[in-house]
Amino acid sequence: MKRLLLIAVTMVSAVGIASADEAPISGTVKSVDPAAQTVTLEATAKGKTRQVVVHLKPGGKVVRFTRSTAPGQTGFVEQAVALADLKPGWIVSAVTKHEGDKEVAELVKIVLER
Amino acid sequence: MGARRWSIPGIAVVILAAALWITDPPVTRADPNGEKHEDEGGHAHVPAPLAYADSHVPISVWTDPKMIARGKEIYTTTCAVCHGDAGDGKGPAGLALPLKPSDFRDKAGLAEMRDNYWFWRVSEGGQVEPFKSKGSAMPPWKDVLSVEDRWAVMAYQHTFSGHQGPHVPWEHPESVQVGHDIFTMSCVACHGVQGKGDGTVGATLSPRRAPQPRDLTSSEFKLRSTPSGHLPTTADLFRTLTEGIRAEGGPLTIGLRGYRIMPSFRHMPEEQRLELLEYVKSLNKAFWARTEVKTVAIPAPPPVTAERLARGKQLYADAECLKCHGATGRRDGTPAGEELKDHLGFPIVATDLTKSARFKSGARPEDVYRTLMTGLSGTPMPSYGDSLESDQAWDLVYYVLSLSRDGGQATEVKR
Repeated sequence: MKRLLLIAVTMVSAVGIASADEAPISGTVKSVDPAAQTVTLEATAKGKTRQVVVHLKPGGKVVRFTRSTAPGQTGFVEQAVALADLKPGWIVSAVTKHEGDKEVAELVKIVLER
Repeated sequence: MGARRWSIPGIAVVILAAALWITDPPVTRADPNGEKHEDEGGHAHVPAPLAYADSHVPISVWTDPKMIARGKEIYTTTCAVCHGDAGDGKGPAGLALPLKPSDFRDKAGLAEMRDNYWFWRVSEGGQVEPFKSKGSAMPPWKDVLSVEDRWAVMAYQHTFSGHQGPHVPWEHPESVQVGHDIFTMSCVACHGVQGKGDGTVGATLSPRRAPQPRDLTSSEFKLRSTPSGHLPTTADLFRTLTEGIRAEGGPLTIGLRGYRIMPSFRHMPEEQRLELLEYVKSLNKAFWARTEVKTVAIPAPPPVTAERLARGKQLYADAECLKCHGATGRRDGTPAGEELKDHLGFPIVATDLTKSARFKSGARPEDVYRTLMTGLSGTPMPSYGDSLESDQAWDLVYYVLSLSRDGGQATEVKR
């Protein structure tokens, strides 16, 4: 019984740590490095503004949301955008994961193009 | 045996907790700024700053079908991507934001949100505090959408809440509840429970004569930067609340520093003063009826010269200031038997211009300029806004200040 309890606690801890290693971030695009597959964001949280380099994971994507043009459908659909197409000043969001000393995202969403 | 009996329910609880955690994990990892992330939404309904405090939405906008339709069009193209087509804050671009977009279906949350706060948020987005520090991604729309467009968007967003009437404090008393509570604690004694100036203590401050506590439900406000006959700006009310009002009162005012008949509330945190004023304004629907807020511009004070003082002395006579204030400014101008009265019929005396520390609206040159150009509504002091040029007004300001014992050296300290 003790062994069973130990396994359950270990599982819960592992799942918790894994899920807690993700955080949403949003910010203004400062620069893009297509070669390194990174986008540098100016993000503010807790009263501090910092520049955060977000690494796009291999196979990851950048998307914008546009209205569906399919007949009878008015909702939003994802439209893939090349990382290089991101422009400074745009607002984007992503859920990043901490990998080593990098912030890595699988999906970068364009919130506002301006 | 006992331990064994409790171990199975214990494991069940742990597994249940794990399941809940997996389906809705709390985000606890330090964010890229090295801080713990808060997934709380953080929609602080702080009072709108003074620059937006008078940005009340005209009452008719909220229920105008044309404005709502115009707002829907704008919302669909600019807001829905984050706030969602259903106004639930779940638009595809908003889902991963650290600070969740507002859910306009949240009736309670919307009811607490005042129109000027809402307009401020749409105009400035998350680029102002306290929202910027919370990581808001909301863009500012003031340079993209006209004032009417922003009103239209708000009117459409308002429809998600299901509320049918206009979004005003008398429909949503909870939006001014904080201010109401402060009013009850700090103002009722003089201004009365309903703000009609009939508090139990008020009358004893200045027995049977002016000034009496202001009836906040009327449109007569003495201290304004707006033209004669207009309501004050929120900044005017804020200044009065902060500085108090100087006047000679009865014995009960002896403890109030600086000859004040209304005490200064400078000690009250600014946010609380703003909350209080939102409640005060809610007592008078006329604040929502004005389409624009005009103020009397106060140009930079020119230097004092002997010529200017001489011109001011002549104007003092020509404008009949001495009729009430007297030739020396010691309010000895009113002929015997002719008593000045305020709009309520209470006897009122002209201000003694030799005591600048007692000037109701302050004794800095710009304060006196403002008083001259706006007048003091409800008193015999008229507005000279239509009869004096700016330069003439400065002449008069400096002459008036020269009558006081400090020779017109009124400074910031005198506020």
